[in-house]
Amino acid sequence: MVLEIIVMVKQVPDSQEVVIDPVTMNLNRSLTRNVTNRADENALEAALRLKDSVGANVTVVSMGPPQAETTMIECLARGADRAILASDRFFGGADTYPTGLTLAATISKIGKFDIIIAGEETSDSSTGHVGPGVAEFLDIDQVTYTSKVEYKDGYVIAERELEDGTEVVKVPTPVLVTVLLNSNVPRRQTLRRKIDAIRKGFEVWDHDRIGLQPEWVGVRGSPTIVRRMRPIKERERAAKKIELSAVGDLVKELYEKNVLKLEVDS
Amino acid sequence: MSEFDAIVVGAGPAGSSSAIKMASGGLNVLLVERGDPPGSKNVSGGILWGKDLSSIIPDWEKSAPLERYVERKVTSFLTHDSEIAIDFKTKKFQQDKTGYSVLRTRLDGYLARKAQQAGAMLVTGVTVDSLAMKDGKVVGVINEGETITSDVVILAEGPNPRVAISAGLREKPNDKTVAVGVKQVYKLPENVINDRFNLRGNAGFAGEYVISFLPNNVFAGGFLYTNKDTISVGVVINLETLRKDGKTHSFDIMEQFVQHPYIAPFLEGGQLQEYSAHFVYEGGYESLPKPYGNGYMMVGDTAGFSFSNGMILQGMNYAISSGILAGESAIEAKKDNDFSEVSLSRYWKKLEVSPAILDKKNFRGINSVVWSGLVHRTIPALLETSLQNMLYETGAPKKHLSQILLKSMSSTGVSSKDMMIQGYRLMRRM
Ligand SMILES: Cc1cc2nc3c(=O)[nH]c(=O)nc-3n(C[C@H](O)[C@H](O)[C@H](O)COP(=O)(O)OP(=O)(O)OC[C@H]3O[C@@H](n4cnc5c(N)ncnc54)[C@H](O)[C@@H]3O)c2cc1C
Repeated sequence: MVLEIIVMVKQVPDSQEVVIDPVTMNLNRSLTRNVTNRADENALEAALRLKDSVGANVTVVSMGPPQAETTMIECLARGADRAILASDRFFGGADTYPTGLTLAATISKIGKFDIIIAGEETSDSSTGHVGPGVAEFLDIDQVTYTSKVEYKDGYVIAERELEDGTEVVKVPTPVLVTVLLNSNVPRRQTLRRKIDAIRKGFEVWDHDRIGLQPEWVGVRGSPTIVRRMRPIKERERAAKKIELSAVGDLVKELYEKNVLKLEVDS
Repeated sequence: MSEFDAIVVGAGPAGSSSAIKMASGGLNVLLVERGDPPGSKNVSGGILWGKDLSSIIPDWEKSAPLERYVERKVTSFLTHDSEIAIDFKTKKFQQDKTGYSVLRTRLDGYLARKAQQAGAMLVTGVTVDSLAMKDGKVVGVINEGETITSDVVILAEGPNPRVAISAGLREKPNDKTVAVGVKQVYKLPENVINDRFNLRGNAGFAGEYVISFLPNNVFAGGFLYTNKDTISVGVVINLETLRKDGKTHSFDIMEQFVQHPYIAPFLEGGQLQEYSAHFVYEGGYESLPKPYGNGYMMVGDTAGFSFSNGMILQGMNYAISSGILAGESAIEAKKDNDFSEVSLSRYWKKLEVSPAILDKKNFRGINSVVWSGLVHRTIPALLETSLQNMLYETGAPKKHLSQILLKSMSSTGVSSKDMMIQGYRLMRRM
């Protein structure tokens, strides 16, 4: 029987294209466009590599507004077999709790699955809650911080990047795996595949289709209350112009101030 | 059989207009744009002159993302210390609009969406690498080694059309056919813009400037357009003189323009939002490529249809009108099921009687005048000196205007014979 893989993705504002005003040095958000969260692209690539090596059916799920359409098409164009967008006005304003719930419910509705792969965290909120949350809602095992995912005979073999080394774990399916940003290089989307992806299309599921009550999801289902936000004051920096010829002096100064350390390869 | 009736390369104003026309005419169209979303590669804005969109989007004046309509048009000479300008304002443009300022990030997105709504398939974030050829005929496009076939390919790549050039369909841009444009967009509150430019409501300002104070004989023009709550400002630099000089950087010229004593106050306190450089196509009638052949047509800047005469910089309007004419030609060719060169020559017949070609023809040779020492150095210097002399009260009795002119001419080093010859040329070309 063919392996069923679910990939969780989210559309986020493009952090790589953040425009900094050269005069005021402020962030300009009005020009940022939406892209697929980069770690989620790594998650999809990990799934597609499994598909290439052992054969799999890859389904992408996302919760988001209608404009996440471009992300859905992109995932199909990279090689996903099916894409489902959980989209409903009731889902708006969700914190990580109802987001996890919505995605878990969507995945249950899809039916049988062996592996769920998600990005470690999103670049716009950086909580890292959603992947593990989905695993808890579905009551399955989870492996986090992975850089490599393999599958053999009912087991996922994953490499976890820890502070002091790499841990290799073997877990029976079904399992949820979160992968690290830049853990692989996502494949390109070609014109051919984009055309095919647009023709294939993706599905949009609302709360009814997923089987969720409106009060469980979105703002109403979110336990987080944001009390107050405040901007962080910028630190004064001693800006200094350095001539190329004076780089040696600078290195010396930084070394003397203990900013730089000298390491000698043995 | 081909997968598509038509593939359009590039979703700028030319490509999208062509796609809208063809898709509304029932053709099966693929529109490919490397920017994602469309317009993201074409930052900043300009003035969309004319009403070419009316035939494909009847309600465009209501539905398109238009910023302000042009009510005040300034044509001006800037010297180091002075500005001498013709400032034309007319209420007539309130009723009958002649042009609108637009921001390309928005306009391009709007037009591409219209193409999609008309039934075209829009693919963004993908670059067409080259054309697929078979028996001397264009049969589709190639991306990452894969061919997508179509009966006809519309090349709408803009002023540096790599696909058309690599297929040998036209020449590379050179210093005579392109200038370099640098643009910036500044954000300012709407009411501040209205106050500074003496505008009310949705009325807008469009200014074109001869920048005559640059060192080392580099020729450049400037422009400044008001949007709702931003200002588009930029320079167009002549490449021949820039290269000859070899020392001046295009970004320095931009800086000098926006810091000019009569430009800087307009922008004061504005927040810089965009900064970009782009080619401006300005080749004359002589350098137009043949815009069609077996299985293809070229539109917009790719075909060389933009125009500048120093008073006005136009390209989007010709991009739209040529796109529509190519679309019309494709629809007719589809009826005959004939996309050969002979069949597509109908596109040229339509162009020949359209402004895209007629304006080029009528203003043939305008570039040699627009980019001349007369316009960029002599006239501004002469005007400045004459006005200064005329307005300066010395306590002595006033001099006759002709005396002032003659004195100014000798102090700026212009002979009256030169003046006559060049002046005559200018009048003839305009
Ligand atoms: C500084 C400056 C100021 C200007 N001001 C004005 C003005 O005020 N009024 C005016 O009317 N005109 C103005 N113009 C001229 C105007 O911008 C052009 O004439 C017009 O944009 C031409 O439209 P186009 O559709 O032919 O090309 P473009 O607008 O250049 O669009 C080409 C599109 O094709 C895409 N593309 C290119 N190659 C490929 C490929 N291989 N695969 C996929 N996609 C591809 C590009 O990303 C782009 O979106 C100005 C130009 C400059 C540089």
